[in-house]
Amino acid sequence: MAKTSIQRRLIAAVVISQLLLAVGVVSVAVYFTRRQLRNAFDAQLNGRAMSIAALVRYSEETHPRLIFEDDLVPLPLEQGHADLYEVLGRDGHLIARSPGWPSQPLPAARPGRSHVNFEFDGIRYRAVHLENVPVLDREVDTPKDDVLTVTYAAPTDQMSRAIAIAGVYIALGSLVLLALTVGLAAWALRRSLRPLAELAGKASGISTSNWELDPSETARNTTELAPLTQAMTTMLDGLHRAFTQQREFLANAAHELKTPVAILKSTLQSLLQRPRDAGEYRAGLEQALDDMARLEKLLHSMLRLARAEQWAAGSARRDLEIIDLVATCQSVIDHLSPIARERDVKLEFSKDGAMPILADADDLELVWSNLLENAIRFSPSGETVRISLRANGPAGFVEVEDRGPGMLPAEVEHLFERFHRGDASRARDTGGYGLGLAISKALIEAYGGTITPESQPGQGMRMIVSVPLKTG
Amino acid sequence: MRVLIVEDERRLAENIARSLRESAGYAVDTAFDGEEGLFMAKSNPYDLVILDLMLPQRDGLSVMHEIRRACLSFPVLVLTARDEKESVVALLNAGADDYVAKPFDLGELMARAKALIRRGKGQSAAVLKVGDLEISTSDLTVRRKGKPVGLTAMEYRVLEYLAHRAGAVVTKTELLEHLYDFNWERFSNVIEVYISGLRRKLDDTGDARLIHTLRGQGYMLRG
Repeated sequence: MAKTSIQRRLIAAVVISQLLLAVGVVSVAVYFTRRQLRNAFDAQLNGRAMSIAALVRYSEETHPRLIFEDDLVPLPLEQGHADLYEVLGRDGHLIARSPGWPSQPLPAARPGRSHVNFEFDGIRYRAVHLENVPVLDREVDTPKDDVLTVTYAAPTDQMSRAIAIAGVYIALGSLVLLALTVGLAAWALRRSLRPLAELAGKASGISTSNWELDPSETARNTTELAPLTQAMTTMLDGLHRAFTQQREFLANAAHELKTPVAILKSTLQSLLQRPRDAGEYRAGLEQALDDMARLEKLLHSMLRLARAEQWAAGSARRDLEIIDLVATCQSVIDHLSPIARERDVKLEFSKDGAMPILADADDLELVWSNLLENAIRFSPSGETVRISLRANGPAGFVEVEDRGPGMLPAEVEHLFERFHRGDASRARDTGGYGLGLAISKALIEAYGGTITPESQPGQGMRMIVSVPLKTG
Repeated sequence: MRVLIVEDERRLAENIARSLRESAGYAVDTAFDGEEGLFMAKSNPYDLVILDLMLPQRDGLSVMHEIRRACLSFPVLVLTARDEKESVVALLNAGADDYVAKPFDLGELMARAKALIRRGKGQSAAVLKVGDLEISTSDLTVRRKGKPVGLTAMEYRVLEYLAHRAGAVVTKTELLEHLYDFNWERFSNVIEVYISGLRRKLDDTGDARLIHTLRGQGYMLRG
């Protein structure tokens, strides 16, 4: 598809509309000028006709008859061409006729009109035809019904030329104005489209290393551009966040994979360092398998996180069933109570009735198990970890509370970051990779819930999970 | 030679330690966090410290700074999972001597460790020469006048240390500190046993004496 330019199209629209306007203005102006000139011409024509009529008088005879005093005929209307006239008396007898009067009869005027145009001897004429003109020279005894019919014609060349010249001037003036307004419109357009060009320039500078749009002041203050600028800024922020998150995840993942790979590699290399007996090889291989298991666990966690985040983004929902949230909690508690006993931590479980939820039991159990494992791990021996469930209308709440050391608000902020370890050495002891809470958060969010930590140093930690229940 | 490994991944620390013991015959101590590592580095005379960058309690860069602030001059080899140039530059500027990025090759790590120890002792060649004695630190063999001399692992360790300090008096305490790791009981008469073993194998062949005893002071290897 051919490229279209807003600027060019707007200028074309301006040119076309201005052109139409100019044509309209010129037509109207020419029409009125022509009418004006013709009216003036007609008035003069009428005056001449009346003057000619006034030259008719009665003769000084016993039976007076109408005579024409042709030595008093006025000058022609236009210099260079003689006017034509004819005066007829009652019954149509000829009283006077100008020299050069055409032999053919003049064309009749249209009904209702007294003027008519005609061409004679290569010259265009306009004629006025007046009937029932009274004879001015009136005596007491002259017949009252003596009326004249006067026809007067004059060439219209000069008038036509005047009309043409007026038309040319009007058209020229319009053209000059047209050029001026189009130029002005083009300048104003280019000027007002400049913020758009600037914005485009800024936008083209955006890359994976530069996410700052930084729209100019004019682009931000232009009503038409402000929504676009706003939308672009918002979109870029979102993209930047997602991009950075992905890149960080990849970097973290690669970084986290290096350690288990380094361990596995060093185990195998040290095994090969010198000849060993079968027992040593066997022990070494078992060690390598253990190292491998850690690597596998990390990979599994990373995939689980990626999938959970995909569900959270709403891309692929699986078939979920209605299950009892209480049962998933109970199962995790049963599973973890030996570990709690080993660490001398008591588990206290409180619930009020069944909590139906549309979910996958494995997902929920993973979340509870992550939260509970952390709580047990950070609890001093002899203390209690409380797990309480309650339903509040359509929302179900799961709270896991420990009496551990707690943490600073600044630390709480990083709690759900991938690969974050509050205390690296302790997390390593249990083979943690700092992914558990990130996975839990992604899963809970995939179910439309929230997970909120509450903690103060020395006050323990309380994790509050809220999930929408399936009611009714 | 005595090496300290500061690495929070126990399995990795164990593998490196085993490798250093088996392939170089070094005494190896391990520390699993930054604070412990710094404490051990300050309280024992190490010939090399292998330091991980990401450590709990105190990170590797900070340990590095503290080590040099305490005027400890042993070479430091840094293990890093980061290979960003800035952190490597920061580490070297903080006084590290070399670095290896994870996942590393254990053989390469051993070779670098040995090279750093040699450099730390003012030696550049992998074969130490004292008079007509040649000690190959790469394959742990000893020759005198071109003839191989069979030594036990401990005898070799004593000889290598003396060769690195050739011409200088080495006390029994120094030998004990550099040849045994933290977990060993130290008996000074054990050193005398190794020295007499070395004398028997090196000096009793009728050649000129190499190992000299300075009564009440210690031992000296001189060609």
